[in-house]
Amino acid sequence: MKTGKALYLELAGIAAAVFAALLCGFIVILLTSKEPLSAISALVMDPLANSFNIGTILNKAVPLMLTGLAISVVFQAGVFSMGAEGQLYVGGFLGSLAAVYVPGLPVWVHLPLILACAVLGGALFGAIPGALKAYWNADEIVTTLMLNFIAILTTSYLVNNVFKDPESGGYARMPYIDPGLLLGKIVPGFSAHAGLLVALGAVAVVYMLLYHTSIGYELRLVGKNPQFAKYGGIATPRVIVLSIVISGALAGLAGIVEILGIHSTYKDNFSAGLGFDGIIIALLARNHPIGVLAASLFYAYLQVGAQTMQVGSDMPREVAVIIQVLLVLFVSSQAIFAYIKQKFVSGQKAVG
Amino acid sequence: MPALLEMKSIHKVYPNGTVANRGVDFSVEEGEIHALVGENGAGKSTLMKILFGLEAPTRGSISFKGQSVSFQGPRDAIKHGMGMVHQHFMLAPSLTVSENIVLGEEPAKGVLSLFRDRAKEQERVAGLIRDYGLKVDPEARADTIPVGQKQRVEILKVLYRGAKLIILDEPTAVLTPQETDELFDSLKSLVRQGHTIIFITHKLREVMQISHRVTVLRGGQSIATLVTKETHQEEISRLMVGREVLFRVQKTPARPEETVLSVRGLAALDDKGVPAIRQVSFRVRAGEILGIAGVEGNGQTQLVETITGLRRAVSGEIRYLDQELRNLSVAQIRAFQIGHIPEDRQTSGACLTSTIADNLMLDHYRNPGFKIGPLLRKKKIRQFAKSAMEMFDVRAASEQTMAGALSGGNLQKVVVARELSKNPKLLVASQPTRGVDIGAIEFIHREIIKRRDAGAAVLLVSAELSEIMALSDRIAVLYNGEIVALLDNTPDLTEQELGYYMLGIKTQEVASQ
Amino acid sequence: MVVWQTIWSQIMDLTLIVVLLRFMTPILLTALGGLISDIGGVINIGLEGLMLLSAFTSIAVASGTDSWLLGVLAGVAASVLICYGMGFFAIRLKVDIIIAGFAVNIFGSGFTIFLMSKIYGLTGNYNPTGAPKIPLVDIPFVQDVPVLGKLLSGHSLMEWIAFLSVVFCIVLIYRTPYGVHLRAVGEAPQAARSLGIPVERVQYSALAWSGVFAGLAGAFLSNGLTNMFVKDMTAGTGFLALAVVLLGNRNPAGILIGSLIFGLASALTTIVQTIPGSPVPSQFIQMIPYVVTIAALVFFALRKKRRLEIAA
Repeated sequence: MKTGKALYLELAGIAAAVFAALLCGFIVILLTSKEPLSAISALVMDPLANSFNIGTILNKAVPLMLTGLAISVVFQAGVFSMGAEGQLYVGGFLGSLAAVYVPGLPVWVHLPLILACAVLGGALFGAIPGALKAYWNADEIVTTLMLNFIAILTTSYLVNNVFKDPESGGYARMPYIDPGLLLGKIVPGFSAHAGLLVALGAVAVVYMLLYHTSIGYELRLVGKNPQFAKYGGIATPRVIVLSIVISGALAGLAGIVEILGIHSTYKDNFSAGLGFDGIIIALLARNHPIGVLAASLFYAYLQVGAQTMQVGSDMPREVAVIIQVLLVLFVSSQAIFAYIKQKFVSGQKAVG
Repeated sequence: MPALLEMKSIHKVYPNGTVANRGVDFSVEEGEIHALVGENGAGKSTLMKILFGLEAPTRGSISFKGQSVSFQGPRDAIKHGMGMVHQHFMLAPSLTVSENIVLGEEPAKGVLSLFRDRAKEQERVAGLIRDYGLKVDPEARADTIPVGQKQRVEILKVLYRGAKLIILDEPTAVLTPQETDELFDSLKSLVRQGHTIIFITHKLREVMQISHRVTVLRGGQSIATLVTKETHQEEISRLMVGREVLFRVQKTPARPEETVLSVRGLAALDDKGVPAIRQVSFRVRAGEILGIAGVEGNGQTQLVETITGLRRAVSGEIRYLDQELRNLSVAQIRAFQIGHIPEDRQTSGACLTSTIADNLMLDHYRNPGFKIGPLLRKKKIRQFAKSAMEMFDVRAASEQTMAGALSGGNLQKVVVARELSKNPKLLVASQPTRGVDIGAIEFIHREIIKRRDAGAAVLLVSAELSEIMALSDRIAVLYNGEIVALLDNTPDLTEQELGYYMLGIKTQEVASQ
Repeated sequence: MVVWQTIWSQIMDLTLIVVLLRFMTPILLTALGGLISDIGGVINIGLEGLMLLSAFTSIAVASGTDSWLLGVLAGVAASVLICYGMGFFAIRLKVDIIIAGFAVNIFGSGFTIFLMSKIYGLTGNYNPTGAPKIPLVDIPFVQDVPVLGKLLSGHSLMEWIAFLSVVFCIVLIYRTPYGVHLRAVGEAPQAARSLGIPVERVQYSALAWSGVFAGLAGAFLSNGLTNMFVKDMTAGTGFLALAVVLLGNRNPAGILIGSLIFGLASALTTIVQTIPGSPVPSQFIQMIPYVVTIAALVFFALRKKRRLEIAA
């Protein structure tokens, strides 16, 4: 909860950070491209040039929103989990198993079952580092990073050796999911799939959870001041585990939505860093669900822009990485934001 | 003879607009102990930070030993022969005493002086300890020595750097009366050996006892500089607050009734697993205040934590009315009418990055009256916060203000408001007025007595002996984790006598109740 | 079982130890870098990115100048440079040090691909022919002694540098004034500042040291262990190094032991992977270091807990 003016300053600061990061990206393009203007134009304009690209932006934003929310929840609880990637794989994998190998259910039973498996898988996998931190004080940054590798390698083994579609050849995947179970287009003729609705729903639910329920209150207090939470009788270990379980559930949901919306089945290494992108989204969004919505859309726009730039110019899409990195750094700079506040708030405060 | 240090019309405006100093004149003569007094927020710390080069003054001039100076940082100040002993000790915990003393100016040897010269280090530190009679083990790790010794290390650090002018920032806050006396002896001997001392404090008794002159700051201005011998406590305190201060709290004799809290044979460990309290027994009755006196670190913290459920008891019982509290969770204990003002409001007592409303909500957010299903009733919470702020005189823009933006006194009032708003039968108040201004101290003291008179049992823990003596009806002294005396607070009880118990010099046969 | 026989025979003919030494070198070097930044209170989780940058720079410069030494120096320089950049953001602009390190990792991965694509027009790996490698050290006479020869001779120069670095770090941390300052800055920055120790400068230098060591490790990956740059070729070594810092109880000797354990896991993985028809899926062997790390973290935590209970 922030008062109006502070909120505007914060937003203005973030806008300035976005602008500065883009500017740096443009400078890199100007310095290294033979056709800088067409590269910049391809980066900035092409993503919005046609409805297909806009649909792609929306589709790319869907998993980002979900993993962004996942990370926001743990970060708000003061848990530095980097485990969304692994949770996403586990959730996506279990959801796909339910989709491919549970036969003969009507869609309205089957689809919720698939989602439930994914959510549960992510949540349980999240509970491991949660319990390790809460009860044994094992550093969650390290455990989640290690568990990511374990999740990726285990699912990779399973999809390569146990659940592999014999027809899939060199690229390991499960048999295709019944098309009736996949997330269809929201509007016929427009490429955005129904996962967008799931993601928007998740934004609303997480917002309510964090700011309007006692669980959210406890979670935020534990993140802001664990000693105060303990003094107030909040069972801090339980809240830590709960936060990362909720986070894992959202990451698992991200995995299955990506599969049902884009891939049509579980494919080996299908995520390629969506969980880590979630960290960037959460940082840009200041861990706020509404911010996650905006940051995901912007980030997806940038990704599509990088793609259109690679196609339309001599610049590789990794230029976008430079922009992303600077964006993260500028937005996270407490010094810059303190400076902005001081600049605009000074002179109003009375004697302290 | 010109003054050793002359600070003229110092102004300091912080970038956020806070004015900390507005024209302070401060001058110190060689060989004196000069007390600098003022309420919290009067500008003492800022003035000293400016002197030490930690902050740059907005305006004003400083001259030291007759020449104009402007220090760019502590290193400059140290080089000119100044040293500061900070209120919060500045020791690196895992380094040894000796390493801490020479830190930043280690004797070196070898190629390009790249390596530490341990022999020379030992020799110099031992020499210092001998010359100034400040006894401490140079090879002990800094986090293992008691508070009084840590302070000696701080003074040795300053002396090692050849300081002539030594600034001590509230050095007695954590000391017993006896340790304070020892410190004062050391200070007097330092002055005899040619050092000059600036002594920051708000304890007027100490000003009278040790200083030659005293400068009073108020609201960022220097109000007066007086020769100590020619003034008295009442005059200084009037200058400090601009009005007469009541040193004794007005209260009627207690009329204790039924026992509310009864503690028997309680034992608990500290964080390192060492017994912190052993066989502690006492009771607190409705309508009385039991004060726990003691030097900090003698088990007070663990006693309070054990009673309030934050720490597990090893043995013993804690009975609240008819309810055994031992082994209940904090949440279960907080569900009773038990209020707990924790010793550290910055970390335990409040969440600085949350709003005042969120801070007041702790406990109440579990209350069905503030919820519909799983959802919180935000409007009702805001109304509750507003009325609590009004009742407890919390001065802030709104209930949505961040707690971290409040002054110490106002923040403590938020904590007190929260704990008293549950209308406690038992109030556990730990250091309830530490570091708050005199206005807030008076207010909080009045509230505590009001609760007592309304029939609450109050367990008061304070390192401030004057607070214990002013408020308590009975006083228990905690030494080394045990209650060594249980006394009625009669007018003939002196600080000196309590001090003997606090140091374990005297022990009373405490009849177990 | 063929596998066990093979492993046994490789232990017997010391191949396992040779491979182990080779694999532990990048982990050890990087972990020492992580240690120094950790002690200085600026935890560097960007080691992975630093290694990648150094690996690419080092092989690019080595093949361009035909000098492995220039390659290694350039790799280290690039890594240190990025550390100063990281320091600028973390110390000056007050970005959380974990976030800054995270950003360095993304940057390292993306920027090396960017450079590879811009300079060589490649996207996957860069495999220059005839780029000079960090030399092997053959010790005269000793190399002809049975056992001892294989144990001591024929190792890469960088492996020796890694071992010397352990000694170097012990001296640096415990025997020099700088080391004391470093510890003071990490534990009690206010105290250090009050004594005129330039806290920020010490923190920058701690980051720079981590850059030096991660840089050496990265250069070894591309210029010693292999002779090419592959995108994301570090494959988590930087993260393992972080874990080793924790396991080694934040001191150089502990880190040496931790690196040995991790090196052993990697060495076994490679040996088993090369055996056809291995009954153990390669994914599970690859997993060993990660599982060991978690198990060790839990073990340490349990031991700490038990110690407390015994003390009680």
